[in-house]
Amino acid sequence: MSSILKDIKVKIMSRYEDYLTTFIEIAASAILGFGVGAIILYALGYDAGVAYSILFTRGLSNANYLLSKATPIMLTGLAFAIPMIAGVFNIGGESQLYVGAITSLVIAVYTGNPLLAIAAGIAAGAGLGGLIAVLKVYRGVNEVIAAIMFNWIFYYTILYLLTDKLYNPQIPHESLPVPSSARIGVIPTPWGEIRAIFFIAVLASLLIYYILYYTSIGYTMRVSGLSPRSAKYAGFNPERSIINSMLLGGGCAGLGGSLLVLGYMFSLDTTMSSLYGLGFTGIGVALLGRNNPIGIIFSAIFFSMLIIGGEMMELKVGTPTELADTLIGVIVIALALPYAYRMLISYIKTRRLIKK
Amino acid sequence: MPEPAIEMKGVVKVYPDGVIALRGVDFIVERGEIHGLLGENGAGKTTLMRILYGEIKPTRGVIRLFGKKVSFRGPWDAIRHGIGMVYQHFTLVPTFTVLENLHLSLSAIEKITIDETQRRARELMEQIGFNVPLNERVEDLPVGIQQRAEILKTLLRRAHILILDEPTSVLTPVETRELFNTLRKLKSMGITIIFITHKLKEVKEITDRVTVLRKGRVVGTVYTSKVTERDLARMMVGREVFLKITKKPKPLGKPLLVVKDLWVRDERGVDMVKGINLVVHEGEILGIAGVQGNGQRELAEALAGIRRPYRGKVFLEGRDLTSMDTMARYRMGLAYVPDSRAVGLVADMNIVENTILTNIYGVVTRIKRILWNIAGRLTKRVVESFEVITPSLSTPVKYLSGGNQQKVMVGREIIREAKVFIVSEPTHGLDVGATEFIRKTLLSLRDKGKAILLISTDLDEILQLSDRVAVIYEGEIMAVGKPEEFSLEKLGLLMGGIRE
Repeated sequence: MSSILKDIKVKIMSRYEDYLTTFIEIAASAILGFGVGAIILYALGYDAGVAYSILFTRGLSNANYLLSKATPIMLTGLAFAIPMIAGVFNIGGESQLYVGAITSLVIAVYTGNPLLAIAAGIAAGAGLGGLIAVLKVYRGVNEVIAAIMFNWIFYYTILYLLTDKLYNPQIPHESLPVPSSARIGVIPTPWGEIRAIFFIAVLASLLIYYILYYTSIGYTMRVSGLSPRSAKYAGFNPERSIINSMLLGGGCAGLGGSLLVLGYMFSLDTTMSSLYGLGFTGIGVALLGRNNPIGIIFSAIFFSMLIIGGEMMELKVGTPTELADTLIGVIVIALALPYAYRMLISYIKTRRLIKK
Repeated sequence: MPEPAIEMKGVVKVYPDGVIALRGVDFIVERGEIHGLLGENGAGKTTLMRILYGEIKPTRGVIRLFGKKVSFRGPWDAIRHGIGMVYQHFTLVPTFTVLENLHLSLSAIEKITIDETQRRARELMEQIGFNVPLNERVEDLPVGIQQRAEILKTLLRRAHILILDEPTSVLTPVETRELFNTLRKLKSMGITIIFITHKLKEVKEITDRVTVLRKGRVVGTVYTSKVTERDLARMMVGREVFLKITKKPKPLGKPLLVVKDLWVRDERGVDMVKGINLVVHEGEILGIAGVQGNGQRELAEALAGIRRPYRGKVFLEGRDLTSMDTMARYRMGLAYVPDSRAVGLVADMNIVENTILTNIYGVVTRIKRILWNIAGRLTKRVVESFEVITPSLSTPVKYLSGGNQQKVMVGREIIREAKVFIVSEPTHGLDVGATEFIRKTLLSLRDKGKAILLISTDLDEILQLSDRVAVIYEGEIMAVGKPEEFSLEKLGLLMGGIRE
């Protein structure tokens, strides 16, 4: 394990410049995003200074809350990023998270075993991801369409299960609770008690990083994503990579749903409001983290801050609910700008060369 | 005398990556003639025509159409000026019917109903005497008919200058004859035609005049009736050989790579390799000469297992490879250097990651962990022994020059100790120094007893390096022999499809 960590460190150091430019790009995008957000706030008649100070202070005030909220979106972020690296567009993180959550809940309720529940949640998510991949590879079904369909199919199926089969007779708007034996607890740290699920998610990110950059499975996936023709030339099977990436991605989303239920919510509400949107937020998390599992850890925390702070802004300053979403949107768009910037540079360079 | 239909003067084109495609070309096409444009790959034929079609802008130079100076902002602008282009790869929507395709292209330039399109299409077809089933879906039609639909499309847009880019490369002989009849008919209607080709026989058969390009310059424009195929061949390939590499004589070893009656189709279902038989011996370079697009890529890919042949067998050291996948073949000692660096390298990955691309099975543990330190050592060997100039091993290969990229691509195959090398265009686009280095490397491999199948469109390269030369034309081997047996002229004729 330590040699692997050392490897990772060497790898990061050797790409120091890449990481530095990426960091600068992300920081500049964030500043731009907040700048545009301030203009919007001003235009709507709010004091941007006050709003932002609440966003940051409240967003960051409770480490446990911050990191717990970051956990599921970190994993749905991975669910988007891993297939993206292999060249597949997985917007099914949403339903993969649903099935992970519900499967874990059921297994936890009936067995009381947390490990079994987690494993089942991962398997459910991976199964759904894998199904989308298999449909794409063997039946030519577009993965985006399949994922959207599955998102709705599972949304309503699970809604039905929660309201009709799994509801808690004492509290009818909630599902049966996770028995205490299957609950995941907290870990004491210098910053107070932090839910263990956050650390599990971080470990998962590191594991994914390892798979992507230190195994031939990940290597094959990356080659397939960057250049399918090279993958074919090298004798890799791009279809296999698509399936692998969707299994891994779906598994991550499934784990996200699982951890959310076992370590944070302990039951699901029958409107599914606690699950809805986590998969889509993951897309933003992955984009902000540049599809890098380690970047995703930080971007998930950042998103979590925006979400929590946004809620607080709403309460304290009375800004509309959509403002936090708008901010996130503006930042994600600003993140696309470095690409535009690089293209502009190369365009100018070629113009100059032609003039010569 | 009326002004010529097309007059291009002093056209220079420098691509953004610094490649000079055209070095001051004057090109004049008279009204109503069929004008051939002949040249090897990279001679600048396609670039010149893309400029005429407004697809790319010339770095310098003037274009006049019927005496009027023009400067196109894009193909749509050229289309408005009556220029039509038929590409090798058609630009029809495969799932649309022919009529829908015609309507699509017409409605881009004028307001028209589909009935009106149909009426005009039928009228035109009657006039030029060919028949395209308007209501069939394009993908269901044979290539020859698709090409007619493409021609019909440009004519409907009232093109009076028609550019055909290697139109016969996808056609059967019968379809070719029909195409030529159509072209003669069009000519009689006053349409000016530019016919891009590398096939000498076709030039003789169909064109009135022909312009020969070589390395971005015009060698000459001649009346086709006044020259022989021999003259054209000399104009097309004749040049001095300036790199001289000495080659030790070597007796033939045992056969390492044997190809028996190989047939391969491309994506369109066209036969690209038609019954090729080859043997490459230990310590031998067998050069495959030919103009690009005559089945070389399909042959190489079939040997590497990337493309499935539908008939025939491939043996390596006597073992049948035919049903093995690519990676198994690489493990058996086959190495393939593709003709395109975009295929052989992953631009965004660094040198180490690219070095292990065809050798991944050699650097992983049982649990599939990549041993990056071993990969790094391998890479170091490639970089050092092939003098790759790079700031570091973790530099993405896209930041390397073409020559250095090529060295990585060739070097990694050599380092992994393969027995049989299929090397495609190994020095394409390289400067003299890098070219010499790669060629010497190939010769030293030969001296070490490897078998090398060298596929190249560069005749100098073929003649210098090969122990035996085979000429490929339309997927068939025209002739095999020692390089001394072929004059450049004879090679030119064979590559143009003429057996003496």
